[in-house]
Amino acid sequence: MRRVFAVIERDMRKFSRNPVIMVMAVVMPIAYLIILGNSFQGKLKGLPVAVVNQDDGYWGRRLDERLKAVAIGPKTVTLTYMSDQGKAVEDVRNGKFKGAVIVPPDFSRRMALGINPEVGIFVDNTDQISEGALTGALTDAVNSLREVFVSVRPDRTVVQARRVELYRMVDYDQALVPGVVVMAIFMGTMITGVFNLVMDRFLGVDEAILMTPVTKTDIVGGLVVSGFIITMFMATIVYIVSALITGITVFGSVSRFLGILVVLALATMGLLSMMFLMLGRANHPRIVGVFSGFMNVIFFFPSGAVYPVEGFPKWLRAFSKVNPEYYAVHALKSIIFKGNPLWAIYGDIVFLLCFLTVMMTLAVVTFKRTL
Amino acid sequence: MSLAVETFDIRKTFGELTAVKDISIQINEGEFFGFLGPNGAGKSTLIRMLTTVLRPASGTASVGGFDITKEPDEVRRSIGVVTQNMASDLDLTARENMDIFGKFYEVPKKARQERVAELLERVGLSKKADELAATFSGGMRRRLDIARVLVHKPEILFLDEPTSGLDPQSRRVVWEMLQNFMKDYNMTIFLTTHYMEEAEALCTRVAIIDRGSVIAMGTPDELKSGIPGNDIVILTLSREQENVRNLAAAEGYVHKAQLENGDLRCYVDSGSEDAPRLMKLATDAGAEVRAVSIQKLSLEDVFIHYTGRSIREEESKKVSLFLGAGVPSKLGRN
Ligand SMILES: Nc1ncnc2c1ncn2[C@@H]1O[C@H](COP(=O)(O)OP(=O)(O)OP(=O)(O)O)[C@@H](O)[C@H]1O
Ligand SMILES: [Mg+2]
Repeated sequence: MRRVFAVIERDMRKFSRNPVIMVMAVVMPIAYLIILGNSFQGKLKGLPVAVVNQDDGYWGRRLDERLKAVAIGPKTVTLTYMSDQGKAVEDVRNGKFKGAVIVPPDFSRRMALGINPEVGIFVDNTDQISEGALTGALTDAVNSLREVFVSVRPDRTVVQARRVELYRMVDYDQALVPGVVVMAIFMGTMITGVFNLVMDRFLGVDEAILMTPVTKTDIVGGLVVSGFIITMFMATIVYIVSALITGITVFGSVSRFLGILVVLALATMGLLSMMFLMLGRANHPRIVGVFSGFMNVIFFFPSGAVYPVEGFPKWLRAFSKVNPEYYAVHALKSIIFKGNPLWAIYGDIVFLLCFLTVMMTLAVVTFKRTL
Repeated sequence: MSLAVETFDIRKTFGELTAVKDISIQINEGEFFGFLGPNGAGKSTLIRMLTTVLRPASGTASVGGFDITKEPDEVRRSIGVVTQNMASDLDLTARENMDIFGKFYEVPKKARQERVAELLERVGLSKKADELAATFSGGMRRRLDIARVLVHKPEILFLDEPTSGLDPQSRRVVWEMLQNFMKDYNMTIFLTTHYMEEAEALCTRVAIIDRGSVIAMGTPDELKSGIPGNDIVILTLSREQENVRNLAAAEGYVHKAQLENGDLRCYVDSGSEDAPRLMKLATDAGAEVRAVSIQKLSLEDVFIHYTGRSIREEESKKVSLFLGAGVPSKLGRN
C-alpha cells in the first residue's frame, strides 16, 4: 500500500516543479469559454439587410415599422434602405448584405383587397447559420402584419402554441460552462496520468522503476490518482472562474456543489483511465500529443457542450451514447441550470461509474510491466 | 557458499538477432563480479533479464535464490539496480529521489531517514541533499543513482556501466565508493563495463562477453595466465606486415603473433629480451619498424586474444547523460 503512495508522491512532486503547465491548463479552457462564447453567439446580431420599399401605402409603412422594430429590439438586423431592387439583390450575392427585403408597389393594394400580397425576401443561403436566423426574423416581421386581424378575433378552434419556460433562460455563455469544465478535465488528463508514464519511458527512467517491487496496480493506480488530484484541482478552478465570469451561482447549496464535484470526479477518473488504456504502451510523448488532440475534438463536439446532441445525425448520436463527456456535460447542465439533485441524474452517474470501472480494469490488465 | 546469481542457458532474441546466447554462469555470494564486453555484446540485455524487466526467450536464472520468471517479485525485493541510463529524477532533489525509492521498497520511515542521511554522506552529497538533481554534474548524478538503490539494503547490486561517460577522476571516486559499499554492506555486486581497467581494479571475477556469448571467465589473473607469455611486444610496421607475422609466429620464443589494427602483437615471455630480436627479424624481412612498445598483459589483451579485436575499436559510442534519450524501446536502448 505504501508503494502506491510513493508513486503518487513522486508524480505530484515532479508536477509541482513545473507550475507553468498548471497555469496554462487552467487559463486555456477559460480562454475557450471567452472565445467560444463570443464566436458562437446564441442569437445572431447585426446582420446587414437591404430594404427596397416601393410601396408608400399603409401596409408598406406598417411592414417598414415591423422591420425597424426587429432592428431596434432583438437587433438581429441592421437595415440599409435602397431604391434599386436589382442592385440590392446583387449586393446580397456579392456578400455586402446577408439578405434583402423587396416590397412591391402594389403591396398595400393587394393587402387591402386580400389578393396574394407578396414580399420578396432574398437571403444569402451559403451561410447557413445566418440564413436561419435571418429568414426567421424577416418572416416573423412580415407575418406579424396579419396578427392585427388574429388578435381581434382569435379562432378558438385552433390550438395556440405559447412558449412556456420550464427553467430559467440560459444565456449561451453560461450554457458553455459545463463543456468548458469538461474540456479542462480532458486537458488535465492529457498532461498527467499516462503522459508521465510515457515521458519516463521516453527518458529511459521507467526501467529503473520497473526493477523495484512496484506493481502494475501501483503504477497505473498511482498515476491515475495523482492525475486525478491535479485535474480535479484544475477543473474546480475552471468551474469557479467561468461561473463567476458568466454569472452562474458558484456554490448554491452544499448538495449542489457536492453534486458538481462528484460529476467532475467521475469524469476525471474515467478519462484518465481511458487515456491510460489507450496510451499505456506509447513510447513517445508526441504520440500522446497527437492522439489526445484528436480525442479532444472527437469527444468534445459530440458531447452536447456546444450544439445539442438532438440535432446530430443518428450515427453521431449513437457515438454520444458512449461518450463519457456527453454524460458529464448532461449531468453538469442538470445540476447547474436545473438544480437537479444527484439522484435525478442517476443514469449519467451510473454510466460514468461503469465507464470508469471498465477502463481502469482494462488499463491495469493490459499494462505491460516489462520493457 | 550459496549462489547469488545463477543463469541456466539464458537466451534473448530480438527478431533475427540473438543478443544473449545461452549463457550459464554462477556468481557466489559476496563476489564482485564483472561482465566485460564491447558495445552491443549483450550486457544490458542480460542485466534486464536478471532484473525481471525482460523475459528470456529460453532458459532462466535465479537471483538471490528466486527464479526470475516464476518469482519476479521476490527477485525485485532482493536487488538494487543502477541502470545504464542515469535514471534519477532531475526534477526531484537528491533526498526526495532516495526517499521515494526507499518507499518503493517499503522501508519504514525511521530506518529510511537514517539510511538516506548515511548514504548521502557516503556518496558525498550531504551538502547537496536538498538541491534538484538537475543541478548535479554527471558524476554526482551517478553517485545519486547508486545511493538511491541502496536505501533498502539489497543483497545483490547490479550496476550497468556505472562509470561510462564519466571523467577519470569521477570514475575513481565511484570505484572507491563501490569498494567501500561492498566491504561494509555485505553485498554481492554484478557490474558490467567495457573498461578493462575498471574490471581489473574492482572485480574478483570477470566474464568476458562478446556477441552474446561468454568467451572467457575467471579472476583477472587467471584470465591473463590463460594467454601465453607475460608480455606483448607491439611492432608498428609500415609494410610486409603479413609476412613478418608469419616469420615471427615460426620463432620458438613467440607464443602467438597477431595482427591487430596494423600492429603486430607478439606474445612473449620477456619483452625486454625479445623485442630486439623481433625488430631485427622485421628489418631483415624488409619491413620498416616505425615504433616498438612492450606491454604487460592486461584484460584488454585477453579480449584481443579471444576475439582478434580490440574492445576499444567499438568504444566510439556516444554517451549522453540523459540517455536512452528518445530511443523507443522497440528500436533498442543502449
Ligand atoms: N529492444 C531491443 N530491440 C532490438 N534489439 C535490441 C534491443 N535491445 C538490445 N538490442 C540489441 O541487442 C544487442 C545487445 O544489446 P545490449 O544493449 O545488451 O548491449 P550492451 O552490451 O549493453 O552494449 P553497450 O555497451 O552499448 O551498452 C545489440 O545488438 C542491440 O542492438
Ligand atoms: Mg548496455
